[in-house]
Amino acid sequence: MHETSIAMGLLDSLNQMAEREKAKKVLKVRVKIGKLSGIVVDSFVFAFNALKEQFPKLSKTELIVEETPILYRCNECGKEFEVETVFFPECPQCGSINLKLLSGEELEVVDAEIEV
Amino acid sequence: MCDVCGCGQHDHSHEHDHFVVSDDTTKRNVEIKKSLLSENERVAQSNREHFDRHGILAINLISSPGSGKTTLLEKTVEALKDELKIGVLEGDIETERDAERVRAKGAAAVQLTTGGACHLEAPLVHKGFHALEKQMEGYPDILFIENVGNLVCPSSFYLGEHIRVVLISVPEGEDKPAKYPKAFKTSDVFIITKSDLLPYFDFDVEKVKKEALSLNPNLKIFVLSAKTGEGLEDWFNFLREKVQEKKAAKVEG
Repeated sequence: MHETSIAMGLLDSLNQMAEREKAKKVLKVRVKIGKLSGIVVDSFVFAFNALKEQFPKLSKTELIVEETPILYRCNECGKEFEVETVFFPECPQCGSINLKLLSGEELEVVDAEIEV
Repeated sequence: MCDVCGCGQHDHSHEHDHFVVSDDTTKRNVEIKKSLLSENERVAQSNREHFDRHGILAINLISSPGSGKTTLLEKTVEALKDELKIGVLEGDIETERDAERVRAKGAAAVQLTTGGACHLEAPLVHKGFHALEKQMEGYPDILFIENVGNLVCPSSFYLGEHIRVVLISVPEGEDKPAKYPKAFKTSDVFIITKSDLLPYFDFDVEKVKKEALSLNPNLKIFVLSAKTGEGLEDWFNFLREKVQEKKAAKVEG
């Protein structure tokens, strides 16, 4: 359910950006959401589309979501590997749990396309 | 807060980290590169700086409804009120009940009602803390922020706390860490409450601990019962120690 507040926050900040850039409309916005971010992408997209009507400059904005994988690097042997599970993994090559998370927690607005 | 962010005069002009990437007459690309939660994070950071400046230990409590957050707070206030100044922000969708409960035990408390939202966000904590300062005519040694009962959404919102605590009660069942991984991955402390009920439920403490640690190897774990008092002293000692660390850091800073 928190996807709704996050979508609203995104719309607010896009609206401010549109004002600042003197845009007529925002055509597209690109966001990165990691699989460990705790965001349900479908709910987020649903909320975004339901709420965007409130903002004249955003009523046609297309939301593009890029889901990023859960990626670790082993600090012992250097192996990089992807996992599906949320559980803390061990290195498939050497068994170490001394790992660095490279991607998966993203919650980022990348860029937007505007019409001026 | 006030002294950091200027309270009420939030300035959005710092969002200037964009530049034109491509350009034609009508369409332009604007690089944004900001967190989806950047506004919450900005206010949370200013909350954190405010807490640090005044040597306040801030603790965010997250759990499902009914797992015993408020009861644990009542016991904690009773036990520590003579040695520490305690402030509580009580997050709920509606009612003043929880603030009244902890106030009755001797803590200063402000109720934050979200009016429907399923979690607390940093700006509401900021506002609530100002009300608490007023009520206390000063600063607490320890600030408890009791989040809205919900094991999902609160875990995405940093409030400026130093320690995040996730609680599950024995009757909720041993599968909670695996089902709500984000709450466990983002917490520092995990408390299993209502341990007096262990004889009546199929709840394997060691298995739950192991599963929680496989989500987050750094969790510090307590098993306690606010009803019988079992395990409470370890929790109180942990709080005393953390408050001392905070005070020492303030003196050094």
